[in-house]
Amino acid sequence: MKATLEAINRMQADGVIGEYAIGGAVGATLYLEPAATLDVDIFVTLPTAPGSLLLSLAPLYDYLKSRGGTVKDEHIVIGGWPVQFLPPKNELEREAVAESVPATVEGVTTWVMSAEHLVAIALCTGRSKDHIRILQFIEQDAVDRGKLQGILERHGLTPKWKRFERKYLEGTDE
Amino acid sequence: MSKQEMRKRLAALSFSEKVKILEKLRDRSVALAASGLRQKSAEGTREKAEAGKGSKG
Repeated sequence: MKATLEAINRMQADGVIGEYAIGGAVGATLYLEPAATLDVDIFVTLPTAPGSLLLSLAPLYDYLKSRGGTVKDEHIVIGGWPVQFLPPKNELEREAVAESVPATVEGVTTWVMSAEHLVAIALCTGRSKDHIRILQFIEQDAVDRGKLQGILERHGLTPKWKRFERKYLEGTDE
Repeated sequence: MSKQEMRKRLAALSFSEKVKILEKLRDRSVALAASGLRQKSAEGTREKAEAGKGSKG
């Protein structure tokens, strides 16, 4: 992972990507006990080409391939880890990148989404494994409930959260 | 140590230590997938289910 993060930081220093933040299971690991995962989700802002409004991951892939990265399905393998680069697709994900927190892996500084943003994104994604992760955050008291409330309200997720609470935290649904 | 205490202890590790555990978990998953153990296990389960259907039906 150290080599993976060093490559991503180098890519950022070279201006290929803007801000980035680790999300998904690896991001959640900053706050929870480690859970098996096969890849790393990196949410990344991309500079737009002059005169273009389109965002493209091609320069990022070209950069990494020229430095030994290998493409495997939707991932690019760097330092032994399959990495998926995800441009933020909504305001919540953009905010999660902008408000990410610094962390260190074997002396390498990196950026990880806040616990509250990870929970809000998991709520949005809504698969069974996302619900399990939210419950882990709650059970381990790893979220600031006030901060989470603010994020949910800002991004119109309060009704979805209420349904989640009824189903999983109060033991009733509807 | 209870399961809850173990989870708390794991959660309290540094990010570097937790990432090392993630790497071990990933390597184990990859090794299992490469050995075909998961596929064999799934096939075994399917065969048992089929056999079960046959004996009942």
